[in-house]
Amino acid sequence: MQNVKLTIDEKAVEARDGENLLDCALRHGIEIPHLCAHEGLTAYGGCRMCLVEVDGMRGYPPSCATPAAEGMVVRTQTDALRRLRRNILGFMMLEHPNSCLICGHREECEEYRPTPEKAGRTTGCHTCNNKPGCDVRQLAADLELTELPEAPIYHQRPLERQAPFLDRDLNLCILCGRCVRVCKEQQGAGVIDFVGRGSAAHIGQAFDQTLLEAGCAFCGSCVDVCPTGSLSDRYAKWYGEPDKRTATTCALCPEACPLIVASVDGQAVSTRSANPSMPLCVLGRFSVAEFVNGVSRLETPLVRVGAVLRQTGWKQALEQVAARFTLFTGDKFAFVCDTSATLEDRRVFRRFTTEIMNSPHYIELTPDGRGWTKPAELPGEVRAVIAVGALITTEQATKLEALAVMDCFPTPLSDGADFVLPSTVFTEMDGTVLDGGGIARPLHTASLARGAAMPAWQIITGLSRALGTEGLPYESAASITGELGLQSVSLCLNRAEAPAPARNPALRHAFHHNHRIEDQVSGLLELPPLEGCELPKPAQEEQAATVAFNTVSPTPTPSDGRFRIVSSAEIVPNTFEIVIVAPEVARKAQAGQFCIVMADAVSERVPYTLSDWDTEKGTITLVVLEKGQSSRKLTLLEAGDCCAHVTGPLGIPLDIQNFGNVVLTGGCYGIGAIVPIAKAMRAAGNHVTVVTEARSWYLAYYREKLAGIADECIPSTIDGSFGEKGHSMDIVGRRLAAGKKIDLVVAVGCPFMMMLTARETAPHGVKTLAALNPIMLDGTGMCGACRISVGGETKFACVDGPFFDAHQVDWDEVRDRRTAYAAAEIQSIGRTASVAVAHKHHGNCGCVNDALNV
Amino acid sequence: MAAEKIPRHSMPEQAPEDRAHNFDEVPYGYPDAVAVLEASRCIQCKKPRCVEGCPVNVDIPGFVGLIKEGNFKEAAEKLKEKNSLPAVCGRVCPQEEQCESRCILGVKGESVAIGRLERFAADHERNTGEMRIPQLPPKTGRKVAVVGAGPAGLTVAGDLIKMGHDVTVFEALHEPGGVLTYGIPEFRLPKTIVNAEVAFLQKLGVTFMMDYVVGRNSTVRELMDNEGFDAVFIGSGAGLPSFMGMPGENLVGVYSANEYLTRSNLMKAFLFPKYDTPPIKRHKVIVVGGGNVAMDSARTALRLGGDVTIVYRRAMEQMPARKEEIHHAQEEGVKFDLLTNPTRVIGDENHRVTAIECLRMELGEPDASGRRRPVEMKGSEFTIPADTVIIAIGNKPNPLVPQTMPGLEVTRWGTIKVDEATMATSVTGVYAAGDIVSGAATVISAMGQGRIAAESIHKYLMGEAPATES
Repeated sequence: MQNVKLTIDEKAVEARDGENLLDCALRHGIEIPHLCAHEGLTAYGGCRMCLVEVDGMRGYPPSCATPAAEGMVVRTQTDALRRLRRNILGFMMLEHPNSCLICGHREECEEYRPTPEKAGRTTGCHTCNNKPGCDVRQLAADLELTELPEAPIYHQRPLERQAPFLDRDLNLCILCGRCVRVCKEQQGAGVIDFVGRGSAAHIGQAFDQTLLEAGCAFCGSCVDVCPTGSLSDRYAKWYGEPDKRTATTCALCPEACPLIVASVDGQAVSTRSANPSMPLCVLGRFSVAEFVNGVSRLETPLVRVGAVLRQTGWKQALEQVAARFTLFTGDKFAFVCDTSATLEDRRVFRRFTTEIMNSPHYIELTPDGRGWTKPAELPGEVRAVIAVGALITTEQATKLEALAVMDCFPTPLSDGADFVLPSTVFTEMDGTVLDGGGIARPLHTASLARGAAMPAWQIITGLSRALGTEGLPYESAASITGELGLQSVSLCLNRAEAPAPARNPALRHAFHHNHRIEDQVSGLLELPPLEGCELPKPAQEEQAATVAFNTVSPTPTPSDGRFRIVSSAEIVPNTFEIVIVAPEVARKAQAGQFCIVMADAVSERVPYTLSDWDTEKGTITLVVLEKGQSSRKLTLLEAGDCCAHVTGPLGIPLDIQNFGNVVLTGGCYGIGAIVPIAKAMRAAGNHVTVVTEARSWYLAYYREKLAGIADECIPSTIDGSFGEKGHSMDIVGRRLAAGKKIDLVVAVGCPFMMMLTARETAPHGVKTLAALNPIMLDGTGMCGACRISVGGETKFACVDGPFFDAHQVDWDEVRDRRTAYAAAEIQSIGRTASVAVAHKHHGNCGCVNDALNV
Repeated sequence: MAAEKIPRHSMPEQAPEDRAHNFDEVPYGYPDAVAVLEASRCIQCKKPRCVEGCPVNVDIPGFVGLIKEGNFKEAAEKLKEKNSLPAVCGRVCPQEEQCESRCILGVKGESVAIGRLERFAADHERNTGEMRIPQLPPKTGRKVAVVGAGPAGLTVAGDLIKMGHDVTVFEALHEPGGVLTYGIPEFRLPKTIVNAEVAFLQKLGVTFMMDYVVGRNSTVRELMDNEGFDAVFIGSGAGLPSFMGMPGENLVGVYSANEYLTRSNLMKAFLFPKYDTPPIKRHKVIVVGGGNVAMDSARTALRLGGDVTIVYRRAMEQMPARKEEIHHAQEEGVKFDLLTNPTRVIGDENHRVTAIECLRMELGEPDASGRRRPVEMKGSEFTIPADTVIIAIGNKPNPLVPQTMPGLEVTRWGTIKVDEATMATSVTGVYAAGDIVSGAATVISAMGQGRIAAESIHKYLMGEAPATES
């Protein structure tokens, strides 16, 4: 094979046989912008980002589709190319939410709030899960894209969250075709394809089928290659850039695929294939994180006291286990495990049984083809058992005098045990497992153990010492691996074809350590039933007796359906107008006040500004943005549903007087919030100017409503597609600079917008009020969660506010206190099930649907 | 053996090393036989001093005698004649300063365990499902509004409904119980007990209006003028947390005890993500203060996995918390840093707490409270690493109701002025009791005052009371 010699950007390089210019350049460290090209996929030549100039060739050939040829002279970074690429990107961005890319306050925004905020539907980089490491953003910055050729197009395509595991928002799609190619080339499936023509072209399934109907295997490869936030891993999407990636082996079935586990602060958040050209199955790609983060994971050792299992510490637990089991040495003792445990664990189990307990009954079972291990038959003389999972029947257990269960999740067996010892799951441990072919594969610790859980070998080694003997000699998994002579095993990276479950998820394993995987991974429940596999009845989800404090009895006074939803509509993307029956609130509401809403009985208490109310009908209107678990639950409610609780009106109403020229600025939910303020201010004789801001034309709402209320209405958009170009504070600033007299500015919106407004008005000495709604609990001054510093003094936003002198507010503190729980909030929305299934109707709100949920 | 020679019976309880890891109630309560034996220690004084020691004057020898005879159900009913919430009081009353401190047996030996017996009788009744609904007198046709579903409000509601009045309780939060629900942790007062007490009141006919903020949804005046209430009782509590006023107090990770406990108790943050309110699990927790609320906060933080230190500016013997609570906290592993006064909370660039700076104190001359005054030792600043600081130095009265009620006289501390004999406020037909009157005090004193208020309201409604000046 002859290497080809050519010149790229005046650098002499050698191309491999058949290599295209793009790959060749990238391999030599020469960066050519590209979007549709992706490692491991065939060239497509669709995005035109990688255009280059080649001496002797006409026009600008795409480097991804141009084979390198002997003697070529290629230029990749000429002014003409940059201009061309910028123009092409500009046109491409017309159909992608682009305002944040060209925003005049982009740098300040990055500085004030570097991490993206959660949202339902993404309408800009600031609410895009793909913001960290986004290819498009990088390109826009590199090419200095600051303007668009014309107003953007928003197709109003529905946000697709009906399928398990992945969200799809085609309003963000740039039609690069990576997903289509990976599906065809890796899966041979072609579940998705380009559908429609011209400006109606989009990614979809044939005949408008759902992903499930079209036979999607949920391998997740499409999500992995998507350069935008259009396709996202529902569970992981808001965790941001992982701070660690660890290669290990997937232990959910004997295929033993090589995994990259991405973790944030020690928590596993997503997994992908360690071999980019080989897809994973739905378990490997989408189930590992939700499984190891399962809500009901055992976190603390439990010791039986009478009828209940009580949580305790490891020292006390192991001492008590030892005190009991020391009475049952010899053949009265049995140890039951199965071969899903690591080789290291099994070594320790065996030595413990034979050397410490002097028992002949080391029982090692083998799971069947779906991961299910049939419970052991216990020899008649056995009185005490340590079981690694539910490996004996509960009936057998009742005949024992002592039972300790080591497990990661509770089971009926552990519910009845004397001791429950929480053990780690495979991403939380080092060790070695055998794959289906009997080849040893390594496990590497990729995430931190849950709670106080420990690897099984460590628990048993600890127990051996608590038994008063010298105990087993192990200090680390590696010391056992060494003893087994397995130090140099490696990941399975050289597989010839994809594992069967990656093609057909119905062939996946059903059990892991005898737990139904789908009991922990909500999305799996939405897949077709497993082929040729009868699942035993679901394990009890809760174990009431274990944790007495879990048995929270329902409120004795539910709200009896008091707060019914009259209507709920997404008026512009991600912004909902919700009308709720709440006569006590409506009767007393005044401009500027808020109410606290709990969508269901387990929701947070979240403040929402009152946008309107009708005392006769006894209803209130809220403008709600989907920003997380609580607002998602609220926006998922439909007319006829009820929210559990509404409390209000709260806060001090805005001081309404005749100030003269009043300017009201509103952004996001604030556009809704300024409606009653505008009405009241005008009624008091003010000249009311309303300035609204939105990222783009399709996000500006209440246009007519506000026009009818205010003396003057000035809409603004970041991209200039509707009203004036810029933010509301830019409009206010321009007016002030032009010498316009303003007596009062009231700003309602996100802290960033209100902070910038304050900065704009401060030099002109214009009184400016900002409406603050920090995190609250009670909303009546009882807890102080909402405290903020205003002019060096601490105020409670709920009873001293919500309006404060915007020039005196400590805006950094406002931001940091608002985001105090950001990390935890992500966990509460992190589910793989389709959104409506995962987040709607928790019950106890008085809805007709209540009976269906407990 | 003479009754008084039997030693006082202790209550079996969870071992400290176990309970430090769970939210289950600490003591298990007396078994039947032990309760009978303990009850038999009571010598049934002719002039029982214990009754005088009880803020609600429970017939203590009466109910103890019934337990001794094995009439547990009757004992509970006897208790309920005077105390609407015996299962609560048996757990959270400071009996050692009240009834038990007056017990004649206590002079030479140990007093009868009145609180434990009270708890026993109430639990027995609840657990056997034998909550008898008493015969109610005919309706008087008078309507009373009770503001706040805390201990004072529940007492007033229970008393007045039994006198034949219509009672509606207005509660701002989404669950009833006030401090019993949001303040006192599960391991000290299981919420099932509070719920059972509320359910009992509902059975008696009390209406509960949740999510209703008096002062916002209606003022007290409007309740009387527009909603047809003939009298109003204000038991809105001491819901305004005090802070130290030190630098760094608004950093992320600094909580009022109210917030910390509300997150855990009311919002069930310890069950996150089953409940949506995010958890408050941290590693190194400092609790500032020495009262019962400080102990509750510290023991909650411990159960959430924290390494917890109480920082208090006076000495151990000057702590206002109940001895039993301090003892429990110590047993469970809460550390105490005494004669230490925080001066500053230190944070990182993200406004998150990293440490707290303190000064060492020494005891000087006695102050107005009779306790030796702590005096700063100059130059003794030191820092303690922390990621959570809980300020548990007390509460002020919540101003929401007084602020929205012109004519209602308040003290300079913001508490409502009352005639202590009747709990009548400066406004005719309006009565108040509990922490909104006394500042931050105990559950039982709120109930005692509530009892007086209920009596006065009854008299007022039935035309027997001299009208207060208004």
